Amino acid sequence: MHCEPFEYEKPVSLREFESLYAAKGEDAKILAGGTDLMVLIKEKLLAPRLLIDISDLHELQGISFDSRQGLTIMAGTKIAEIERSALVKEHAPALAYAAANLGSNQVRWMATMAGNICHASPAAETPPVLLAHDCELIIGKQGGERTLPISRFFLSYRKTALEPGEYLKAFRLPPLPERSAVAYRFKGLRRAMEIDMLNIGAYLELSEEGQSVSDIRLAMGSVGPTTYRATATEQRLKGMQIDDEFFATACGGVVQEASPIDDVRASAEYRNRVIGVLTRRALEECLEIIASRGNKA
Amino acid sequence: MSKHDFDVIGKDQKRKDGPKKVKGEHEFADDIQFPMMLHGRIKRSDIAHARIISIDTSKAEALAGVKAVLIGSETPIKYGIVPQMPTEYALAHQKVRFYGEPVAAVAAVDPETAERALDLIEIEYEALPVYTTPEQALAEGAVKIHEDNKFPGNIAYEADQNFGDVDEAFKNSHYVLEKVFKTSYVNHVFMEPHCAVSKFDTNGELFIWSTTQIPHYLHTHLAKVLQMDMNKIHVKVTGVGGGFGGKGEVSNNELISALLARKAGRPVKVLYSRKDVFLQHRGRHPIEMRVKVGVDKEGMITGIDYNGTMDGGSYGGWGLVILFYTAAMLHLPYNVRNVRFYARRIYTNKPTCGAMRGLGGVQPRFALESLLDQIAIDIGMSPYELKKKNAIGLSHETVSGQVVRHSEFRKCLDQAVANSGYLEKHGKLPFGKGIGLAGGYYISGTAYTLYMAYKPHSSAMIRVDNESGVTVYCGATDIGQGSDTVLGMMAAEKFGLPFESIHVVSGDTSLAPFDLGTFASRVTVAAGSAVCKAADNVLEKLKPVAAIQLGVSTDQLEARQGKIYSVFEKSKEIDFWKVVEKYIDAHGPLTATGNYTPPRRTGNFKGANIGHSPTYGFSAQCTEVDIDIETGEVRVIRVTEAGDCGQPINPVSVEGQVEGSIVMGMGQALFEELKVGKDGRLLNPSLHDYKVPTATDIPELKTTFVDSYDPDSPFGAKEAGEGPIQPVIPAIFNAVYDAIGVRFTEMPITPEKVLRALDEKKKQEGMQS
Ligand SMILES: Cc1cc2nc3c(=O)[nH]c(=O)nc-3n(C[C@H](O)[C@H](O)[C@H](O)COP(=O)(O)OP(=O)(O)OC[C@H]3O[C@@H](n4cnc5c(N)ncnc54)[C@H](O)[C@@H]3O)c2cc1C
Repeated sequence: MHCEPFEYEKPVSLREFESLYAAKGEDAKILAGGTDLMVLIKEKLLAPRLLIDISDLHELQGISFDSRQGLTIMAGTKIAEIERSALVKEHAPALAYAAANLGSNQVRWMATMAGNICHASPAAETPPVLLAHDCELIIGKQGGERTLPISRFFLSYRKTALEPGEYLKAFRLPPLPERSAVAYRFKGLRRAMEIDMLNIGAYLELSEEGQSVSDIRLAMGSVGPTTYRATATEQRLKGMQIDDEFFATACGGVVQEASPIDDVRASAEYRNRVIGVLTRRALEECLEIIASRGNKA
Repeated sequence: MSKHDFDVIGKDQKRKDGPKKVKGEHEFADDIQFPMMLHGRIKRSDIAHARIISIDTSKAEALAGVKAVLIGSETPIKYGIVPQMPTEYALAHQKVRFYGEPVAAVAAVDPETAERALDLIEIEYEALPVYTTPEQALAEGAVKIHEDNKFPGNIAYEADQNFGDVDEAFKNSHYVLEKVFKTSYVNHVFMEPHCAVSKFDTNGELFIWSTTQIPHYLHTHLAKVLQMDMNKIHVKVTGVGGGFGGKGEVSNNELISALLARKAGRPVKVLYSRKDVFLQHRGRHPIEMRVKVGVDKEGMITGIDYNGTMDGGSYGGWGLVILFYTAAMLHLPYNVRNVRFYARRIYTNKPTCGAMRGLGGVQPRFALESLLDQIAIDIGMSPYELKKKNAIGLSHETVSGQVVRHSEFRKCLDQAVANSGYLEKHGKLPFGKGIGLAGGYYISGTAYTLYMAYKPHSSAMIRVDNESGVTVYCGATDIGQGSDTVLGMMAAEKFGLPFESIHVVSGDTSLAPFDLGTFASRVTVAAGSAVCKAADNVLEKLKPVAAIQLGVSTDQLEARQGKIYSVFEKSKEIDFWKVVEKYIDAHGPLTATGNYTPPRRTGNFKGANIGHSPTYGFSAQCTEVDIDIETGEVRVIRVTEAGDCGQPINPVSVEGQVEGSIVMGMGQALFEELKVGKDGRLLNPSLHDYKVPTATDIPELKTTFVDSYDPDSPFGAKEAGEGPIQPVIPAIFNAVYDAIGVRFTEMPITPEKVLRALDEKKKQEGMQS
């Protein structure tokens, strides 16, 4: 398949990258794993003049944890490394699970999580979990850095809050408080290599006595132009006792806040119906995790 | 397994091509490179039905690097796999009939230049109405898609057959059930896209390397379309990365590569993208079938009435043969005395349907196995009991005159039911879980041929010498099913030599003698018979030499374990190769041929020659599903299969065929469907959006052989390539019925359909209570 010609640069230090990107940013696209970008270029939906390959930037590699800041995942880290990381499995098991369900093994060894969220597809695998974790994004730019909560990152269909010259540098997942958990649920037609018809990330934190909700986040994918949180429902659920009414409110709420469309993967009707089911299952899983942790402690 | 004592047959044999494929050493068409080779690309229509007003190729021709541009008016010769009814052109001529039809082609120094040139070709069309369903194409006043079509409107072909007295049978039936079934528009999704490389030598002879199932049909088509003598054309089959029927017809890229090579005076490769493969298509016909079945009080089938409308897509292809195959496939594997068949194939503005694994069988099997399941349940009988009662015995002749010389279908039913615990589970599992049973069969070769000659359907030549060993030359084509291995194993068994020492040269029209090709599950029986006869003829020549050396009569000699020896006195033995040496020293080269033609049969009705086979393979399956009733997901968790393939020659290969069949059928039952827009455009022509099962979707597979040996077949073998896919879909549908009490009649069963059906069911139950 032929595509429009482009130039290709592969900087070897962050400094070199930042100055190149600052100078040529207008015409350039960052190339991470290329598993989204190259598809768009080959389908002639994009024709950048320059690709800047960031895969040699060791400053953008790696996963670390400290008890104050939580889990830090650098932007260039491959999905497969996230899937396998012992730190991720311990501190964000739902993220490891979502990563394990992105594409195929081959895709996961190419793809990065930065690419996944910067592509900003509403069906993407990792955004619901990152939203559930209320992850913080570290955004870089020549000579500077800023942080942004991920809840303000997705602006609209395939549009993000990155300004010209800015790039994504790292993800920071704050440490999970006691009596809290995150769960991820998704639905595709087949079991692998699927763009989800629906997905949901749920965060649940119980009050000290363990009977009511002290905090909750519900992030839904494939039910609107971006992945987003059902914030009105979250508000209503806070403080509620964990009982049938809680589940009914949660499931009813997400359906109200979802605004899916019909597409080749599923009908709006189906999505509306099943998003509630996935929400309930994700919340039940959170409760199970919290209970099992409590038992262990 | 069987009472036969073999050294090679029936033992798992590693294929010679296996390690080569794993290491990337096996040569596929796209691996072929020649100096000066050009790359051809195809300009496809962006309209589904139109008259071509003009084509301007001047800008494309002017592009640097472009060496030839070709359009349909330069090749206005119609061809088709059914030679009596040719409908296709290498490039659309005067009209386009589907969105994405090849209209022009470019050969250039590299693929990028060729693709750029395509964008420079300007085509003016006069749009015609687009028909994407048979219903639209059949509407009154619809424009004829093929103006010279002999049948009214857009009916490509229609036929009926009538055996016994169906109306009378239904009148006297205890119970009659009728339903309408719809099958889906699915593609084979073989791994390797079509690719052909054509090269003319200085003397004007054409050499073509292609990934095809039918080198000899390709040979005739090339001669026709290029208007060349056949003896100037050499067809060479490369490694084939799967075909499943999709490479069982000449593909446009093959003809285009040859035409471009001739025009450019340089070798030309035309490789398809996955999208091109979906447009070439030739996948399974969607059929809307109204089927009625009656039974008596005992559950014995009294009659079958079938009325089918096949969506053929835009061209003829294998269509008319498949139409008659569906007629033939109504009878077996049950004993039915009254059968009425009516079917028509309709032209629509879509990529053409054709032959796909188990062709002609999968659709009627789906309808019949579903109906029999429901009938059994409705009359309070186990579906197993009903099917067993009606199953044919050890041999059978259908009312339509098909002769089954050997069947172990009843054993298949018994074994699948016993191994799966069907009787303990059916009707007794909790809501959402279910088990379903279905049976099926397929032909092992066909007595009818579209190759316009009466020559043997398969032929083989064997050459034996002390330098090169044993070489089997056979026109059969190994498309990944492992026929080279099977034919080599047969020769090895005959000569008493290890398999590794046999060379098989196949799929080359210049080197190997004629064979019809790989389709209709014919190769093991047909080419196998030819190879066995050739081997027997070699032994006929060797034994007299050995007899004199050993001082015994020829009729007591046997070749085994590298020796020729007397069966009465083992010490009277001589090394096989010693005998070969003496034969050649005395007589010169040692070669022999063998050939095979299935018995010809016919009858006194339309289509009577189609559907006869020398022998038949059978299969029964019990399939278990688990349905998530909140999300509608249907998960196939276990398939227990019992197959009658005769004597398995290479059991591990048969297992591969059965497992592949199950996964392929499951894809059609649950996931796969080519979607077509109103304008005739394919909406999901990629493996991203067209969903074949992945490794994670594959259920637990318990496949077994039933004890079987067809004494009239080479080493008792029948077929396993297409029979095992027949029960897959109805077994899943029957299991879904068992799980949630919903009888689906339309493929695929998506989660959405499950939820909708459950709602509907609840509503109806609510109304009843
Ligand atoms: C076969 C296949 C299957 C797939 N299956 C799934 C699936 O199941 N689930 C799923 O969610 N996705 C899937 N994808 C999509 C894709 O693999 C993921 O979205 C992946 O995470 C993208 O990462 P990448 O590193 O390849 O991104 P790239 O393609 O390199 O980049 C994507 C976009 O992000 C930008 N970008 C990348 N890194 C940065 C950065 N650090 N800062 C700023 N911008 C950046 C690029 O410029 C580009 O616009 C699939 C893709 C393929 C080809």
